[in-house]
Amino acid sequence: MNAKLAFSGLKEIRLPRRAGSATTFARRARSLFQQPETLAADRASLVEFLGQVSLFADVDRRDLVRLARIVHAREYADGESICEEGRPGVALFIVRRGVVEVVRCAAGGEETSLVLLEPPASFEESAAVGAAMTRWFSIRARGPVSLLALGKSDLDALMVGSPALANKVLIRLAGIMAARLQMLLDAELAAEFNLEGRP
Amino acid sequence: MTTRTGVAVTWVVGVASAILTAWLLWGLRGLIVPAFVGGVLAYICRPLVARLERRRIPRGVAAGLLLVTFASVGLAGLTSLRAAMPTEIEALEVRVRALHALTRTYRTVMGLDASWTRGNRFYWLAHRDLDPLVDRVVDVLALTPDERAQLVASRSKLLEQERANAQALAIRAGRTPRGEVAVRTAGASSTSATTSAAQDSAPALGDILSTWIIAPLIFLFLLWDSGDLKRGLLSMVPNRLFEPALAVLADIDDALGDYVRGIFLECCALGLTVLVLLAIIGVPVRWAVAIGIFTGASNVVPYMGFAAALLGGLAYALLAEEVHPLIPLVTPETFAIAVIVAVALAELVKNVVYEPIVLGGSVKLHPLVVVVGIIGGATLFGPAGMLLAIPTITVVKVLVASSARHLTAYGLI
Repeated sequence: MNAKLAFSGLKEIRLPRRAGSATTFARRARSLFQQPETLAADRASLVEFLGQVSLFADVDRRDLVRLARIVHAREYADGESICEEGRPGVALFIVRRGVVEVVRCAAGGEETSLVLLEPPASFEESAAVGAAMTRWFSIRARGPVSLLALGKSDLDALMVGSPALANKVLIRLAGIMAARLQMLLDAELAAEFNLEGRP
Repeated sequence: MTTRTGVAVTWVVGVASAILTAWLLWGLRGLIVPAFVGGVLAYICRPLVARLERRRIPRGVAAGLLLVTFASVGLAGLTSLRAAMPTEIEALEVRVRALHALTRTYRTVMGLDASWTRGNRFYWLAHRDLDPLVDRVVDVLALTPDERAQLVASRSKLLEQERANAQALAIRAGRTPRGEVAVRTAGASSTSATTSAAQDSAPALGDILSTWIIAPLIFLFLLWDSGDLKRGLLSMVPNRLFEPALAVLADIDDALGDYVRGIFLECCALGLTVLVLLAIIGVPVRWAVAIGIFTGASNVVPYMGFAAALLGGLAYALLAEEVHPLIPLVTPETFAIAVIVAVALAELVKNVVYEPIVLGGSVKLHPLVVVVGIIGGATLFGPAGMLLAIPTITVVKVLVASSARHLTAYGLI
């Protein structure tokens, strides 16, 4: 795996190996769920865990405590649906324990498994900023899973109560989304070059 | 357990929970108003606490500071109210003056002769309905023999008016059996009321204090809470409903916050407008402030602000002997009309300026829904029901609309 695209939380890419397009899909998938930075693995407490999430990388401990008070802890059973394709999102999720699987329905209705995510991966950042986009993928639990959710309304309340903290989080969110977009473009360009047989 | 049994158990538990909730609400209805007041103040103060938090003041300290501020303002208000309270003799004089003004005005409007038996056409049309009402007010205002003796001993300037009142009452007593009853029982009822009030005042005050202690507690708890309440509520929601519930809660929070802060601003603005307008037409500032506060507080219940301002203003007009208006054309004779015009103007400003600007679109309810809601609330829970009718309807409306929208979007219905 390319060192530039490596990130903690991406457990496995599970795309079907089809000639020509598999690499492209893999690159797209990795780009969309990639965490820009590698984080340490210590998850002793919620606050410490939040400190390892790249979204909160610039946040000091005092603000992490504040964040720990507003995030919602959710527990999912094996196979339980977390997000459904085609539905709106109002919260971003962070994998705290366990593994989640990102799947996408193909045109024929069959599901394609895209990636597996593990702690401290996050997904659905666009929902937290109120982008009002419908999801193009579904996510379900692979085994028992603990997630942390941060709703758009929680972020709105944070903007009123702690604008400095909210700014840090939003700037980080924008950075992550921009980095993903950049990587997606890189992957698209690389795929096109490969398909056309150019170096 | 079979599916059918599971459904039956769910229904039984659901119905039992609903009955228990209704029973608790009914049993604890005495706490509704204090809890509502505490909650409303907390809602209003949330932006303030956020602002203080931004200045690095811990949330608990900020909430405590606001509570101390409210307590200080309340204490100052109570102290000034106590200072403004009339003495025993002054209270008797107010009653004498009010009774005198009432009988004089009633006699003039009805065109009654000296025997109080013949009046104008309006009197013949309305006296069957109006006489009992006037008798009831007279019951309240008439002095007992003891009180009369007290007034005489104080060498009050109003002894002449009191003599005229006694004469009018005697004439009314001779005219109708109801009047006899009124005169005969006035003393007894007033005396017994005074005695029982004195006896009951200590426990009643204790009850009020023990009930109202919940208001600062709720105020503190809600302001201190930085999301635990919401998290606790959402933790009970199944995973598949988590995101819709988050969205619905946000919608309710927005709507309720807009309504509470909007109505608070509107009440303040209306109270201030009534204060200024009444002061302009000649109501002394002390009384204009009192009527303004009464109007602002009553405006929490739709249409009640207007009624409160009108009643307060007309009550002053009834008692006022001379007025000192800041504008021409207002004389003691036209004072009541000036009060009506001032209150109508304040209501107009409220409807045209304050409601669209301050309240905005936070509450879009049909007037019929508002009226039915208030009457229904009053029938079920008394004053607390009137107070809570509109916020409750607002929450239910947003809850239903938002739930339907989000559950549809998530494919759950």
